[in-house]
Amino acid sequence: MSYGKSTNRRTSGRRDGGDDLLGVNSEIGRKLKQYYEDLVTEEIPDRFAELLSQLEQSDRSEKAEQED
Amino acid sequence: MSVYTGFRDDLLATVPSLRAFAVSLAKNADRADDLVQETLVKAWDKQKSFQPGTNLKAWLFTILRNEFYSQMRKRKREVEDGDGVITGHLSVHPAQEGSVDLKDFRKALEQLPEDQREAIILIGASGFSYEEAAEICGCAVGTIKSRVSRARARLQDILGISGENDFGPDPISAQITNTAFLA
Repeated sequence: MSYGKSTNRRTSGRRDGGDDLLGVNSEIGRKLKQYYEDLVTEEIPDRFAELLSQLEQSDRSEKAEQED
Repeated sequence: MSVYTGFRDDLLATVPSLRAFAVSLAKNADRADDLVQETLVKAWDKQKSFQPGTNLKAWLFTILRNEFYSQMRKRKREVEDGDGVITGHLSVHPAQEGSVDLKDFRKALEQLPEDQREAIILIGASGFSYEEAAEICGCAVGTIKSRVSRARARLQDILGISGENDFGPDPISAQITNTAFLA
């Protein structure tokens, strides 16, 4: 009953690898993921959330104008 | 009726990966953030052309990539050189335990031609399939495969990693062998 877990881990591990050439057995593959992971986990500047709120806001007021 | 709700949140959720891809392409954190900003604005304008349920991440990566190349063409015309500036404020933690320092790895990655760099990032780090990467880059699956393979070989070369576990013949050496026969 409990081997479901390890199967899942295996599957997701393979998917993460994306490619045998860059899999867990490859130093390049590991470094590549480490390099990317560092970037992905960096703190995101507020400007992006602010920008999207602005875009959303301007869409709304445009729509309101059209409806009037 | 416009926009499905949650588009904004979905875009925001993709920002970390978009930034990582942008930094890998632009090699500079400030330029990368400008690229992401431009991408979000473009995506917002084009949101009606996005079909909910399809791969938003791939769609956004495509927009960002196109933006990067069009900016690069513009910049090339403006300044012929002066690029390759490496910003120091990206957080890099040296890997004590690993045989290759992460900083060295980053420098090596930056030496790759853009097409090889983006291919190896998309496949080896961003988690895209070859098919998705081919779509993002607007080229054939085989082209992505050979770029990844060349990128990997080049990185191994720069970093002095050799005799690493290989899995079967790589497509590039097979290609070279074939070409050699033809020549």
